[in-house]
Amino acid sequence: MNGKKRILVWDLPTRVFHWLLVVAMVGLVVTGKIGGGLIEWHGRIGLLVLGLLVFRLVWGVAGSTYARFGQFFPTPAKIAAYLKGDWHAPGHNPLGALSVFALLAATLFQALTGLIANDDIAFVGPLYELVGRDLSNLATGWHRLAVNLLIALVVLHVAAIIFYVRVKKDDLVKPMVRGWKEVEAGESALGGGLLALIVAVMLALAAVYAASGVWLPEPPPPAAVQTPAW
Amino acid sequence: MKTKFALALLAATLATGAQAQVKVEDAIKWRQSAYGAMGWSMARIKANIDGTYNKDEVIKSANVIQAIANSGMGALYVPGSDKGKGWADTRVKPALFTDGPKVGKIAGDFNAAANEMAKVAASGDVAAVKEAFGKLGGTCKACHDDYRTKQ
Repeated sequence: MNGKKRILVWDLPTRVFHWLLVVAMVGLVVTGKIGGGLIEWHGRIGLLVLGLLVFRLVWGVAGSTYARFGQFFPTPAKIAAYLKGDWHAPGHNPLGALSVFALLAATLFQALTGLIANDDIAFVGPLYELVGRDLSNLATGWHRLAVNLLIALVVLHVAAIIFYVRVKKDDLVKPMVRGWKEVEAGESALGGGLLALIVAVMLALAAVYAASGVWLPEPPPPAAVQTPAW
Repeated sequence: MKTKFALALLAATLATGAQAQVKVEDAIKWRQSAYGAMGWSMARIKANIDGTYNKDEVIKSANVIQAIANSGMGALYVPGSDKGKGWADTRVKPALFTDGPKVGKIAGDFNAAANEMAKVAASGDVAAVKEAFGKLGGTCKACHDDYRTKQ
């Protein structure tokens, strides 16, 4: 490997986030499509994903170099340069960055609509009580529809990775597993220390707590409601 | 109420013979009412699983679902009732009326799950109730996914 050096591209929290999200997404599609008793797990995994997303959003500001949104934000100029073949740098390339933001937005949309959705059988999202049936039905419709967009984005993402590995001979998977990559130019990621990690995790946990609805007032105990004995 | 119920029963018993006598609007109304009663029962069972378990309540609810499941609700899917208004516009997809065997299988699965639900409710075994409830919900979903328009 002449003239190549090894740099840290993806810090550990980014990688853990990525692979946890992969596992969770598979779990969500499976539990969502099968339904039945698994819908309860769909809800739980959905909360996990919401926590992961909030973590990633914070990490996009507080994380290390290549995890930061500002570093890879896809401006038209960058995209144009990339398409002309003039873009060479570690981290997300400008097209990949578009994919990252689209995936994050679509996943966030699913997580948020899921919070107030209902399955028209016996399951409701944890914040259903806040919005009522009509809005819940609307959100449920979007949740069912938008999942197709999300799946399409994931398929595109995976197809792009395969294209890079096979055609461009650039293995994007290994760096996402091990963190480092052999590059001709570029510096190792900096920042995203322990304090940033603690803050990001705390905010993610706070978001999960808020979304779980456990803070909602308890329904009145059965004794408080008198109904006829028949 | 009683007359309507008796009529519904009659319609169910004489499924083919009495078909023409069920008006589309009534058929849709009764369908929606039956699903509404089952929705109440499902919510009630779930509340018992999630909160304090009351065996009697679960038995009553499971029996409602079992009774409706075995009432021959197919008799309410009269020709022409793929569109129309009962308590609200029907959300059935026209495919339900043309996908004979597939719909029959879904209905059969639902009946079996409803019978199982009633059986385990009577036993009072909470873990078994939970499992049967999950399976029963799955059979509801099977039909909703394919034969109910999304809102």
